[in-house]
Amino acid sequence: MLNKIIDALNKRSDLAGWTVRHLINRSAQVYAVPRQTEAQRAAGIEQYKVDVLRHTTGSDGSAAVGSGNATLLPGGDIESAIEKAVLTAGLVANPIHTIPGPAPLPDVPLIDVDIQRNASAVTKAAMERIQTSAARNKDVHLTAAECFGDIETTLLVNSRGIEAEQEETRISIEFVLHGQRGDHEVETFTELRRRRLADLNIEKEMEQRTHHTLDLFEAQAPLSRQGPVILRGNVLGTFLAGDGPRGGVLHNLGSAASKYAKFSSWEIGKSVFRTEVKGDPLTVWANRRIPFGTFSNSFDEEGLPAQRVELIRNNELLAFSASQRYADYLGLPATGEFGGVELPLGQSQSSELLKEPYVEVIQFSWFTPDFVTGDFATEIRLGYIVEDGTRKPFRGGQLIGNFLDALANVHWSAETGFFGSYMGPHTARFNDLKLAGQAQ
Amino acid sequence: MTDLRLPSDMAELRPALGEIVAQGREQAPYFTVLLSSKYGLTIQIDNREEHVTERTPSAGTVLSAFDGHTIYERAINGFQRDEVEKAAQELVRETDFANYKPADEPQRSGDFVSPMQIDPADLSIQEKLDRCRELHRRLNGRDPRIVNCQIGYVELSEHSIFASQYADLAQRVQRVRLFLVVVVASEDGQIQYDYTSKSGGAGWEVLNFTDDEIQKLVDSAVALLSAKRIEAGEYQVIAAPGVSGVICHESFGHGVETDMFLKQRARAAHFIDRTVGSSLVNIVDDPSRPGEYGSYFFDDEGRMASPTQVVENGLFRRGITDFYSATALDIPRSANGRRQDYSRKAYARMSNTYFDAGTSTLDEMLAQVDHGIFLDKWSSGMEDPQGWGIQVTCHYGHEIKGGKITDRVFSPIGISGYVPDVLQSISAVSTGVSLDAGTCGKGHKESVPVASGGPHLLLKASLG
Repeated sequence: MLNKIIDALNKRSDLAGWTVRHLINRSAQVYAVPRQTEAQRAAGIEQYKVDVLRHTTGSDGSAAVGSGNATLLPGGDIESAIEKAVLTAGLVANPIHTIPGPAPLPDVPLIDVDIQRNASAVTKAAMERIQTSAARNKDVHLTAAECFGDIETTLLVNSRGIEAEQEETRISIEFVLHGQRGDHEVETFTELRRRRLADLNIEKEMEQRTHHTLDLFEAQAPLSRQGPVILRGNVLGTFLAGDGPRGGVLHNLGSAASKYAKFSSWEIGKSVFRTEVKGDPLTVWANRRIPFGTFSNSFDEEGLPAQRVELIRNNELLAFSASQRYADYLGLPATGEFGGVELPLGQSQSSELLKEPYVEVIQFSWFTPDFVTGDFATEIRLGYIVEDGTRKPFRGGQLIGNFLDALANVHWSAETGFFGSYMGPHTARFNDLKLAGQAQ
Repeated sequence: MTDLRLPSDMAELRPALGEIVAQGREQAPYFTVLLSSKYGLTIQIDNREEHVTERTPSAGTVLSAFDGHTIYERAINGFQRDEVEKAAQELVRETDFANYKPADEPQRSGDFVSPMQIDPADLSIQEKLDRCRELHRRLNGRDPRIVNCQIGYVELSEHSIFASQYADLAQRVQRVRLFLVVVVASEDGQIQYDYTSKSGGAGWEVLNFTDDEIQKLVDSAVALLSAKRIEAGEYQVIAAPGVSGVICHESFGHGVETDMFLKQRARAAHFIDRTVGSSLVNIVDDPSRPGEYGSYFFDDEGRMASPTQVVENGLFRRGITDFYSATALDIPRSANGRRQDYSRKAYARMSNTYFDAGTSTLDEMLAQVDHGIFLDKWSSGMEDPQGWGIQVTCHYGHEIKGGKITDRVFSPIGISGYVPDVLQSISAVSTGVSLDAGTCGKGHKESVPVASGGPHLLLKASLG
């Protein structure tokens, strides 16, 4: 069917360019509730995504282009889908932009061979490991878990000669640990996503989360305070890289699309901060080549090869992450999708950063900074106040600040780690954030 | 019979579903088939470019069988009869389903279509684009500090057929939403924005904006350039209907999804017929509410839509269910078994969830506030059904002083607190209910369209 679509597109004389992606996804899913499996599912998706670019004319008579798209399922009507996409493209008149041409593709590791071979077996095995780990501590119980294993293949062809194929795998795990002492119930909810199971230490995660669950029995609402806040590991990754494909503040302000739409005030060659930098200088790569990174790939939706783009060096913006369209509009190199966030190792040992007193946030309810201003006010599900040699758990209250102001006053650890969408220092000490709790 | 135009491949398979169900039931007494097709269109216009994008459609068949403990499913691409029959045969071979005897259900059949005056399917893309362009023209240029204006139009069209021993149902659910975004910049380069939207389970007739509404949006975006962070603390608060809706959604919406009861994730499970809020609090989930964004006629498990009174005069009455949790907990079902699409399982999910109306006027409520905050607009929320913590982030709010809303604006504002404390603090509820469209996840996945809302609420909350 792909060849038929390509033949149909090649026959058209009214197109300035086209791209076709043939996507096949196979998913194995297993869901557990207490004492039994709730559901087992096998799901498959196959689609052909067609994007067309057409020469049009602007309202002032200037040369322009329009784009349109269509998605076909196997056996779908190729001619009518393409015709609809082309008609749509003819309705809009945007400044001229192009589509990418062929370029060497990097070899980015994206595959867990076990998932590739038998996703169902891997998800069931992961579920058994979760259940076995949970059973080790009688004070907490696993009350829900989900394991998804996905294999996705993409074959991309475009009118400029790109012909590229990639295969990627994903493992997604969720689990809930529940504890009860009399009427007092507590729980922790954990979501983890990686490309391969080997990058998830399920037993270690379960052990940590068991401790967190038990600590919640002791957790009280915090008193308001201001000062150092520690983020480590996965929660630091969420802070920097967001928790979904949309990414976080760095993705938005560092994107050429946001710059073009005037949502981003960042300028190349200027500091990304609005305040004096009191902490470590900030360097950031937008990296689609992180091995087994959840936002890594060999090529993106347009066919642009994966790059490791130095976005910010020593607080100064060096580049925007740019699709071909916005690269053309702003006269920038096309870097493709943002990918994961990578930071260089810091200068401090973690032990130095953990100098008391400090607040450590283990889990946010949902870290949702404003993507334009960077302001945030986020409820804390579990944290610790560490002072006078004690580590006292708390829950509730809000962490309040501004994302960029926080990055202007932070120290990074020399120890690094890989957390799916983020690779870099394992620990960060933000020197001046506000914890809004009960009045002192 | 309502005039329901199904996609041709769905329509072709429909007559065979009775036979496929009958064959499946020979091995699995509980055997159902769902055909689901979702299509969407997005138009985005701003000062510099235009986008018209077909949203990634999904179209597939879900075959479900239940052995009393586990739901087994095959979810396959498309509606090809031979492939559906093959998947059905594979499914019933997976385990021994014969021991489970499903409960009797009422026979039900019918074809349903969302109520519409201006069906998006009857408008060409050119006509929709022109309507968006016209709105952009009305929005742009109203203030020299505007650096960009965006119009975003989203239409979601969902066709589904559910077949079982008892059901032969088909529906087309149409949803539309129109966003206006204004981006403004100050002389020192600070950027702010504001947005508004209209939506419905309806057609274009619900997407009209008045000039006053447009000007108000521009004024509020400009006002945000001088917004400050609020001093953290407890305040008397009046929540606008959208903010009321998110409080409702995150507290006694997610918190009463009964799959969460089964997973011991919901504290509400221990509070049936107990007080969870002030006597002014009434919370309803109603997928049958006409014209709302979260409405439908039957859920993805074939249950006919009807309202569920979740909280009645401050007492928690019952949760909202999917088939599995209702069966496992042996509780009455509600029509809330929903899937993101055919490739995902059904969970207990909200539809239109809202605080029901009270008797106060907004002026009466304002008169009770000497110093407080009027929370104008929400931006996000997150549930905590076990801990009963609440997180709602508001894009901005205004100071209330001496019973009047002032020009002093704070942004953003986080609401946190303990759900029963927040609901218990509600001391006045206004007349009238309005709902905002939203997308709801289970955690961070399983997105479904919903609406939430309510009247204005007067309450106390911790803001930061």
